[in-house]
Amino acid sequence: MDTKGQWKRSAKAAHTDQTVSQTGRQPGLSFELSESLAGIQSELGNSPDLIIRQIQLGGPLRIQAAAVHLSGLADTSAVNQFVIGSLLGNMEGLFMDSEEGGIDEGRLPAMILNRALEIGEAEIKEEWKEMMLAVLSGDTVILLDGYATSILCATRGGEWRSVGEPSSQLVVRGPKDGFVESVATNISLIRRRIKSPKLHLEYMKIGSETQTLVALMYVKDIAGEDLISEVRERLGKIAMNEVLESGYIEELIQDKTFTPFPTIYNTERPDVAAGNLLEGRVVIIVDGTPFVLILPAVFTQFFQSAEDYSQRFDIAILMRVVRYMSFIVLILGPSVYISLTTYHYEMIPTTLLINLLAQRENVPFPALVEALLMEGAFEILREAGVRMPRVIGQTVSVVGALILGSAVVEAGIITPIMVIVVALTGIASFAIPAYNMSIAGRLIRFAFLLLAGMFGFYGVILGLIVMVAHMNSLRSFGVPYLSPFVPLSVKGQKDTILRLPLWLMTPRKSPQQMRAELPEFMRLTTGNEELLAPLIGKAGRPPETAEGDQPDEQ
Amino acid sequence: MNNKRLGLSLLITMQMLLPLVLTGCWDSVELNRRAIVSGVGIDRGPSDDQKYILSFQVIIAEEISGEQTRSSSPVALYSGSGRTMFEALANASRQTARFLSLGHVRVVVISEEFAREGIKDMLDVLERESDMRLTSLVFISKDQPASEVMSTMTVFSKIPANDLVEKLDTTSKQFGYNYKMEVDDVIRGIQVRGGGPVINGVFRTGGRERGDSNDNLKTITPDTILRISRLAVFKDDKLKGWLEGKTAFGTVLLLNKLKEFPVVIKKDNGYLAFNVYQSQVSVDAEAKDPEHPVIIIKITQQAALKESPNSLDLTSPEVLEKLSEQLTMEARSQIREAIAAARKLESDYIGFGEAVKRENPHGWKKVKDHWEDIFAACEIKIDADTVIRHTDMRGNSFQVY
Repeated sequence: MDTKGQWKRSAKAAHTDQTVSQTGRQPGLSFELSESLAGIQSELGNSPDLIIRQIQLGGPLRIQAAAVHLSGLADTSAVNQFVIGSLLGNMEGLFMDSEEGGIDEGRLPAMILNRALEIGEAEIKEEWKEMMLAVLSGDTVILLDGYATSILCATRGGEWRSVGEPSSQLVVRGPKDGFVESVATNISLIRRRIKSPKLHLEYMKIGSETQTLVALMYVKDIAGEDLISEVRERLGKIAMNEVLESGYIEELIQDKTFTPFPTIYNTERPDVAAGNLLEGRVVIIVDGTPFVLILPAVFTQFFQSAEDYSQRFDIAILMRVVRYMSFIVLILGPSVYISLTTYHYEMIPTTLLINLLAQRENVPFPALVEALLMEGAFEILREAGVRMPRVIGQTVSVVGALILGSAVVEAGIITPIMVIVVALTGIASFAIPAYNMSIAGRLIRFAFLLLAGMFGFYGVILGLIVMVAHMNSLRSFGVPYLSPFVPLSVKGQKDTILRLPLWLMTPRKSPQQMRAELPEFMRLTTGNEELLAPLIGKAGRPPETAEGDQPDEQ
Repeated sequence: MNNKRLGLSLLITMQMLLPLVLTGCWDSVELNRRAIVSGVGIDRGPSDDQKYILSFQVIIAEEISGEQTRSSSPVALYSGSGRTMFEALANASRQTARFLSLGHVRVVVISEEFAREGIKDMLDVLERESDMRLTSLVFISKDQPASEVMSTMTVFSKIPANDLVEKLDTTSKQFGYNYKMEVDDVIRGIQVRGGGPVINGVFRTGGRERGDSNDNLKTITPDTILRISRLAVFKDDKLKGWLEGKTAFGTVLLLNKLKEFPVVIKKDNGYLAFNVYQSQVSVDAEAKDPEHPVIIIKITQQAALKESPNSLDLTSPEVLEKLSEQLTMEARSQIREAIAAARKLESDYIGFGEAVKRENPHGWKKVKDHWEDIFAACEIKIDADTVIRHTDMRGNSFQVY
């Protein structure tokens, strides 16, 4: 394929391209080294971190060459030792067995690649865009004078955060390593746990500007083929300029936007990712974030912790029951209090009622306002605590606990029992292992608060009915959100609220199996693709070409 | 187009949600706008215009558990009168700053005067009123107006109504023939053909002058004490008489409500005391001929010896056998006296009619209109058995040696 004629043609085309680029079109690779270099420089806006090292090759030809890389992104020692070192080394060997007349000029880049470069991953590319992407990814590009082609050497490196303990989803017992921002590292963390050839990996680049590397992982034969193709398709439809975090992907591929409940799980823990892969789920790793997406996700999954499987099963069941209870406390705590005190006072035991009465005696606000004030204050406190620099964090908790906790009661603005209720819901929200489920609960809590204030328990029950109906309508990649409760599967209960001993749980039921058991009408996949239409391009287009800046080329 | 649809659906959602706000907060009443009533006293007024005099014992929560107490009374009594109970309630609530809330009424006291006249109508109100609970305890105030019982300061539990509830609980579990009689029990009792309910009596002892003030509690021996004693027995809804002592024990035995009670028997020149801690009574009827039924009463009791001043050899089975025979005799005589009292009052509150009805429902229909006559004359068989299970911490007394 690499014939001389083809080169010339493509080179010529590139050449004309580059000349036009002066007037605003795309630059291309040129036969003139200086022109190519100038093109790179101008496209990167003469960025000072672009390092261009000009070299004269040894051997009979004395050709000018240049190694281009971005400092910081590339591993400097690799560039020095293996790229520039190889080029400056003895080039005589290159031409030892070449034909008479010396050198076949056209084959020079291939010969350098084959015989000189001491780099594991290197290839020849003629496309200007690919070359630029390589430079921006941290690779080193070798350009040769007289050749409109480039050799890309993988020298990606630079500084990454090292693998450390995850900042969320902590466990007492269990592995302490967490994902980092690098896709390659994250994949290695998973692969170390599943040494199976069935663990498949696919790469895509999403984001027309960011060109973010997105890795799709699944275990072949365990994950359903239709699930994988559905994920692939939804990822392919994403047409965004930037993908900076896995949350961007999550929001664009989830089944339903208008719901407080998360339908895609995310984790910082490689052991969780590995476990879910083996249960037949798909893992999406996004470059630049330690949070990895796991899908499909059902409601019960958000109440599981990696530790459930490290601890004895009875202890794990206790912990899970506590988590479900704390979710109920979180969404219903203040609303039950309001309903009881303003509508259903007869349900409170008399002795407690007398205490409540005495407490409420001099409080100026109705219970609803009281609850809104206190919950609002608590949310402010929590938000402040999260965003605060760590040094000041202590101050926040001290001020929050003291001022809001006791002073507000002493000032007679809030009843002590309200402080207890709010504190309880606050603590309960931390007991839920998945942060996104916990913030969902925090949001729903306010809806229930208002319902309780307006209708008492009647409203709370109506709200619960609506909430459960809504949860029933949710699907995560075709899997009903409340499964295995709705539709009920007795076998599926092995790992929900219960966590049976491991030997009883195998073989586990994959989401695909659960889905396959559904009646046909329940196997809907998506709910809101139409709503997302502005962001989603034509179906079936590969993501690399789904860029907004050159739509007419397709 | 999608934006339009989104906007439209948002609009529809808003239109569905906003009317909810219009309803306001329905029937919400903040706690500090409520006056919690702990007990109600029902008295017969002097005239028909003031037939009902209701006394509401309202809890002043701040006095009980608040931080700024005025060292005043923990409850206040508001009274109102009217031709109907609802009118009396409305009348009483004109005096209170807050809504009289009946959801926590634990005690309903009816005066003896009213009880003799009939309590049907007020029970209908107690059952109908949505706030009231059917588990409130009912008492009849003996010889005294109910409002006096409601306005007695008590030592334990700052709320007198609660004190009454706890007293009843204690007596029913330990030495008393009084047991929990709730509104719905009374209503069920009234519906029994030929019989009536049995209701606990309550009255206050001692001087009445200082009973309703804190002064009552300032001395070690309170001037006035609320006492739960005696049983008021009814025929239909009218009070017929009071039972006490042996008769009362026998009655409650027959109703199978007795948990633990003391029995004293005479032996030689001293008294022995027993604690009967379990007694099971069944009342059945042989009623093939409903005009001449035979009532069969089976009673098994378990007792523990508590006191033995005699120099009896308590380790000997023969001695215990004799003692238990005496206990059986005691039980028989209690029951006989109870039946005699019921026959005298012409009220089948001990449920013989029910036994006949269970046995021969068709026959019961024939005799139920003149059950009083049959009840007064029917044959009764008592099959009693008592076992002395133990003599508590000792065998023989140290006095024996």
